[in-house]
Amino acid sequence: MSGMTYAQIEQTVLHTLRPAPLKYWAVVALTFLGLLIGAGCWAYQIAVGIGVGGQNIPVVWGTYLINFVFWVGIAHSGTLISAILYLFRAGWRNPIARAAETMTVFAVCIAGLFPFIHLGRVWMVYYILPYPNERTLWPNFQSPLVFDVVAISTYLTVSSLFWYTGMLPDLAIVRDRATGLRKRIFQMISLGWTGRHEQWRHYTRAYLFFAALATPLVISVHSVVSWDFALGIVPGWHSTIFAPYFVAGAIHSGLAMVLTLIIPLRRIFHYEAFITENILDNIAKTIIFTGLIVGYAYLVEYFLAWYSHNIVEQESFRWRAFGHYSLQFWVMVICNTVVPLLFFFRKVRRSIPWLFAISVLINIGMWYERFVIIIGGVAHDFMPNAWGLYSPSIIEYGILLGSFSMFFFLFLLFVKHLPSVSMTELKEGIHQGGDHGR
Amino acid sequence: MAVEKCVISLFDDETRAASAIEALRGSPWKLERVHSPIPSDKILNALKLKKSRVGYFTLAGGIIGFFSGVGLAIYTGIQWNLIVSGKPVVAWIPFLIVGFEFTILFAVFGNVLGLLFQTNLPEFQSLRIYDQRCSGEHFGVLASCAEGEENKLMAFFQEKGGEARLI
Repeated sequence: MSGMTYAQIEQTVLHTLRPAPLKYWAVVALTFLGLLIGAGCWAYQIAVGIGVGGQNIPVVWGTYLINFVFWVGIAHSGTLISAILYLFRAGWRNPIARAAETMTVFAVCIAGLFPFIHLGRVWMVYYILPYPNERTLWPNFQSPLVFDVVAISTYLTVSSLFWYTGMLPDLAIVRDRATGLRKRIFQMISLGWTGRHEQWRHYTRAYLFFAALATPLVISVHSVVSWDFALGIVPGWHSTIFAPYFVAGAIHSGLAMVLTLIIPLRRIFHYEAFITENILDNIAKTIIFTGLIVGYAYLVEYFLAWYSHNIVEQESFRWRAFGHYSLQFWVMVICNTVVPLLFFFRKVRRSIPWLFAISVLINIGMWYERFVIIIGGVAHDFMPNAWGLYSPSIIEYGILLGSFSMFFFLFLLFVKHLPSVSMTELKEGIHQGGDHGR
Repeated sequence: MAVEKCVISLFDDETRAASAIEALRGSPWKLERVHSPIPSDKILNALKLKKSRVGYFTLAGGIIGFFSGVGLAIYTGIQWNLIVSGKPVVAWIPFLIVGFEFTILFAVFGNVLGLLFQTNLPEFQSLRIYDQRCSGEHFGVLASCAEGEENKLMAFFQEKGGEARLI
């Protein structure tokens, strides 16, 4: 990025907001179709009943919960990049922070839909709200499921506000270069930002607090998600390592998704000057680190099962590796812990096709990790007479397709209508005097 | 009351803008405001501003949030008043988790409110006396003077390396 001027940065980013070609709208239409299929499947489930899914005793938490945990996990690296790396003053985060934050917001929105979908009678959702009612029923704040409601709602609110606040100066730039209706819209959404010294003085401070608050929040959210399982007594779930294990896994999958998103973004929008090979290299190195933590967690689970002398636990983990879902287990192990080791080779870290392919494989592996944990635990617990298998129904596959389509649909709309790279932070990056969080 | 005139000067470099701000301090003219495309340390130091008080709003929000979260959990527990999973009706450890999440949520609300309150956003009036190049690559310094002084003020800015114009 060295040698670039402010004007060049603006020109490159604002160029992405020009009217889109037909093929862009074709891809948007395709993702919208996928979204409609998902919505249609959900509508069918509402009309017919939750039984149209494959969940049944003993596996009553199927793909809906897998998708919930998967999308919450995807959301995590957005905050890692935008908040944690910001606090560490890692300048390489600047060109990818906006895309990662956006990914976070959309992923949490989608994750938040799955408890509603899984609820079956979604119109009864108000039962979870704590309000005085004639039934004298209250949510049980001792339950990790209620922690989840609080944590995910907080995370969605905080990440959305962080995303929007961080975008204010850029929205003002778009306003100042736009005309007509677009100018009026951006004038409203930029709240009249003019980069006045008083505005910067308070903004930089507020941004720092945002980052400082988002950091412990992101750790807590996936810890809370892990307690949905760890606080149950199901073998394979009831483990003290679940919180750090889930947090590491979440960041692992999120970083992979960042690569999956920014590699095409970089190519299509000619962001090569901003999103350099060094940045991709740094993400790949971080993936090695998170992959090693995840691999360590897999090993520790087996060690604990062996060391505990608990035969139920031991059987559960034996079955995980060699039982009915062994294929999913080995896909998980290979994609999440073995494949990322290829990033030890500099040539792989510098190769765009390799980076993209590995990021996709990690995403697949992380989805299967949730499958193995959630399904494997309850399918094969204490009582052999209660063992049972699960396979998703066509409706669940439709909703899975809908969730991915919705994610890419929203992301595609974002990249053509809002600045997908933070111009202000890039300008600061080439300007030694600037500091986004004094 | 004397009529005031405003002059805005655009600098393509923050060092020159900071130098003009310093020089304005010893002049008969009044510095109104400075616009910059990035948060510039040099400019903020030249302005000798106090630390932002947004943090107090954040802190207040966090404290309110903690007590709201724990209070809500205790209140609902007492209303229900049944032992669940062998835990006491008022179970502190789970309730602290609720308190923690509410702390972060309300601290962020406080942070945003503090930011909006301190910066007077949303505010669209100042767009009328604003140069759009200030969001691009220019640093704008706006100063006011008594009527008849504007040429002197413009000359002052030009001497400092700025491109001055009367608003």
